[in-house]
Amino acid sequence: MLNVMLTGVGGQGTVLAAKVLAQAAQEKGWHVRTAETIGMAQRGGSVVSHVRMGNEGEEVQSPLIARGCADVIIAFEPAEGARMLPYLAPTGVLVTATTAVQPVTAALAKDSYRGSVVLQGLRDAFAQAPDQLVIVPDDELLERIGNRKVLNTVLLAKAIGTGRLPLDLDDLRSAIRACVKPAFVDLNLQAIG
Amino acid sequence: MAKKLLMGNEAMAHAALEAGVRVVAGYPGTPSSEIVETVAKLRAAGIAHGVHVEWSTNEKVALELLFGASLAGARGLFTCKQMGLNVASDALMSLNYVSVRGGLVLVVADDPGPISSQTEQDTRRFAAFAKVPVLDPSTPEQAFRMIQAAFDLSERFHTPVIVRPTTRVDHASAFFEVADETFARPVPEEGFERDVSKWVIFPRRAYEAHGEINERLSQVADAFSSEEPFSSFNEVVEGPEGASDDPVFGIVASGISAAYVREALQMVEERAGRAHVKIPAYRFMQVGTPYPFPAQALSRFASGLSDILVIEELDYVLEDELAQLAGRTHASFNVHGKLTGEARDRGENDVDDVVLRIEKYLGLVGRLRLHLHEQDEDARTASISYEQASELPVRPPVLCPGCPHRGAFYAVKQALLKTPAVLCGDIGCYTLGNAQPLDAVDTCLCMGAGVTMAQGLSVVDPAKKAVAYIGDSTFFASGMTGLANAAYNGHDITVMVLDNATTAMTGSQPHPGTGYTLMGDQNEPLSIEAVLLANGFSHVYHANPLDKDASIVAVKAAIAYDGPSAVIFESPCIQLIKPDEPVSIDADVCTGCKKCITEIGCPGIGFDPLREGPRSGSRGQAFIDPALCNGCDLCVQVCPFKAITFPVPDAEFADLAEDEVFEVVEAEAEESLADAEFDETNEVEESYVDEASHDDGASADSYQGEEPDLSGFDETVGVYGLEDEELFLFDDGAGEADSAESDDDAEKAVAIEECATVALDPSELEEISAAKASEPDGPQSVDQEALTRRLVLTDELNIEEDLPEEGGQDA
Ligand code: SF4
Ligand code: SF4
Repeated sequence: MLNVMLTGVGGQGTVLAAKVLAQAAQEKGWHVRTAETIGMAQRGGSVVSHVRMGNEGEEVQSPLIARGCADVIIAFEPAEGARMLPYLAPTGVLVTATTAVQPVTAALAKDSYRGSVVLQGLRDAFAQAPDQLVIVPDDELLERIGNRKVLNTVLLAKAIGTGRLPLDLDDLRSAIRACVKPAFVDLNLQAIG
Repeated sequence: MAKKLLMGNEAMAHAALEAGVRVVAGYPGTPSSEIVETVAKLRAAGIAHGVHVEWSTNEKVALELLFGASLAGARGLFTCKQMGLNVASDALMSLNYVSVRGGLVLVVADDPGPISSQTEQDTRRFAAFAKVPVLDPSTPEQAFRMIQAAFDLSERFHTPVIVRPTTRVDHASAFFEVADETFARPVPEEGFERDVSKWVIFPRRAYEAHGEINERLSQVADAFSSEEPFSSFNEVVEGPEGASDDPVFGIVASGISAAYVREALQMVEERAGRAHVKIPAYRFMQVGTPYPFPAQALSRFASGLSDILVIEELDYVLEDELAQLAGRTHASFNVHGKLTGEARDRGENDVDDVVLRIEKYLGLVGRLRLHLHEQDEDARTASISYEQASELPVRPPVLCPGCPHRGAFYAVKQALLKTPAVLCGDIGCYTLGNAQPLDAVDTCLCMGAGVTMAQGLSVVDPAKKAVAYIGDSTFFASGMTGLANAAYNGHDITVMVLDNATTAMTGSQPHPGTGYTLMGDQNEPLSIEAVLLANGFSHVYHANPLDKDASIVAVKAAIAYDGPSAVIFESPCIQLIKPDEPVSIDADVCTGCKKCITEIGCPGIGFDPLREGPRSGSRGQAFIDPALCNGCDLCVQVCPFKAITFPVPDAEFADLAEDEVFEVVEAEAEESLADAEFDETNEVEESYVDEASHDDGASADSYQGEEPDLSGFDETVGVYGLEDEELFLFDDGAGEADSAESDDDAEKAVAIEECATVALDPSELEEISAAKASEPDGPQSVDQEALTRRLVLTDELNIEEDLPEEGGQDA
């Protein structure tokens, strides 16, 4: 069983990323279940998508990943990654974007939230297992691509790059062709490069 | 046949279409909304043939409409969230007595948690109360099969049937093979056939019908116990593999909890295997047909068991039924669950919790952990934990950046200042107006209750202004009867209609005010203003919520009227339109006073304590997140130092004052407006540009008969239909009398108070009040031209071709 959790802030595109992963798994012939956060939380709240794949031929029961069972957590925002750490498996990998999204609550607070503080906290948390933390400088990468909307594809490519998922970039490309609106396919394929 | 990844809701839509459904109707509400939307999409794509699909004005309307269709022999599908059934309950209770002809299936989505709702009510209970069979799926695949079974059951027993998924079934996805095309089952040629003894409910007929209902429920219970496909919804498994003894431990689960139990049992077995611990034999059953309770199947299940643990969400429905069964059959099993404190009494279940419950139930506590051979891994996990987890920023949902509601809430607060008032909220995105810093909602109950609660408050607490907010979709769903009541009984309330031209929270569904239907027609949009006027609201004002000053004036004028009055705030939901360019904060000007944040709390504005500028010292500075800002310009109007500016695209703007920039932009906007060929189906254009359609017949004429009593009301305040037909009507200076806060000293005091918290030095305080004094026009004298300019700017709206795909929330 492979468990991938995607976490971020409502509106960042976790839902589409989960669809692409599910499609890739389906093309491998695995049983797949996914679950989404849809509703009020999509208005700038914390959102989580779960993708569960029976890569050894097994059937997936619950659509939600249990604590300590996520093989990969893909965080679109560092604090959301930190929040979901209890779900990471002992050998699991956290792939996180660096760009913080400051919630209104934090802007109002006396001590505003800064992404760098959370990233440092994450580095400390993984001090014993640095190979399980992948920090993606999304700002630079997206600047180069010229479109922030492909954050999800960039993170998926990085997650596959960790080697923790028995999928390769070609699987990702083919899944993107199947899931993404034709007008945006090229942009996303470019992002993988 | 193609394999598609479908959410439970999408799967149920496909299932109903494949079952030949002829009419689909509902009202949006998370987690149910995608069912109707999917049917509409498949119809529009030419895949679903012959189906009529609509968003009805509310759930009661939808169900009654479907019942009519059923009497003519058509299959009908109704969808709503759990509280929607409360609205439709009047129809449901009675139509069950009349009995259905064409299959009538109600999908009522429950929301354990609750994640997007006001209650954790359990539709299985509702079904029992209404005496209507209910099916309870545990996966999207099962939901698909249950919809089809429900139609057959409905026609076989002439009963409505409820299918009750929960959020984790509605919004979970799996791959499905679905039909390439579907066709609605033709309605019998004769259509509706008159039969007064059957279709007209009367006390005598109700007595007979009650007997028929009792009879059919007992037949349905038998079918649930022993017939396919129902018995497959009540599947029994025994474990662990290779167990030789007969089980004495039973586990029963409902809905998504059945999936959790299956997974938890696998986990427990695996752990036990690794630790070489033998786990006792157990028997597990999902009860997928909770009402009428399949007693025979459960008796078979319970034979030989000493105990049964029940894992279910919301109410203890199966637990009650099992206790009754034990009593009636003198069985000796004990029932464990919510009532015995052995399962969560509310909220969602999850695999983690169920594992612990089962370990305890089976007497395995402490025996598995000790022998886990990944002890090292356990230690390692413990090392990967985020130390300051409690310091992570909380991220509750908020109004979108650029949401027009923000301006409306801010205007209400600014117009009231210290005037005592109660602000009655309602259901929709605008419930989020309660969050800090807007803090502009005092109550929220159910659909339409803002307008009516305000009336009760105005009766007993007249010292406070009674203000109600209502969104445009809620207005048509259940606001109108409350309006009539206010006029009829003479209640002094002010209704703030937040018209953003959509049902935003649930994912942008159209409604009567847009005129756009799911069948692809563009009908004449209903005018909110005409409805207000027709319901006796004589004082109706319009405002663009993103125009701060004009909005404040409109609110003041409406509140000043002694009797039912309203402000219609018109500006489309930001999810519908192409956002403007982000604004930016001039680091040389920002003082770090945080006013933009503490006043309106837009997620597009952050604060960086480390930023420095010439006027901010070490206080830090606000910044705009260009990825979030939608360029609504509200913060530009709020910043007392004019530190926030519109994007200046060309060098030619660089030397222009803000007003001059406006003029240039205005000219450009006018030009492009003149060029633009508006698409007929462009709903924003319909409601916001072509104001003529609002005016036709609704305004001056409807006024003639009953001139409102304007004594005590300042004549210079524009009243719709009396003075002129401007979109924005406002007070041109008359409001001063009722606002002592408007004089300079008071403003200075406010400014001082505002800045006290960030410890500005006295010279800066002077600057603030100077800046305030130099503002061209205070709220009390609005520059009409500026309003018109803004109107032109707001009109230049383009609907994005791709509306957001994902659903939203609440109804
Ligand atoms: S202009 Fe200001 S208030 Fe409007 S979306 Fe941008 S940051 Fe928010
Ligand atoms: S979806 Fe529309 S109405 Fe809802 S918060 Fe966002 S902008 Fe406002």
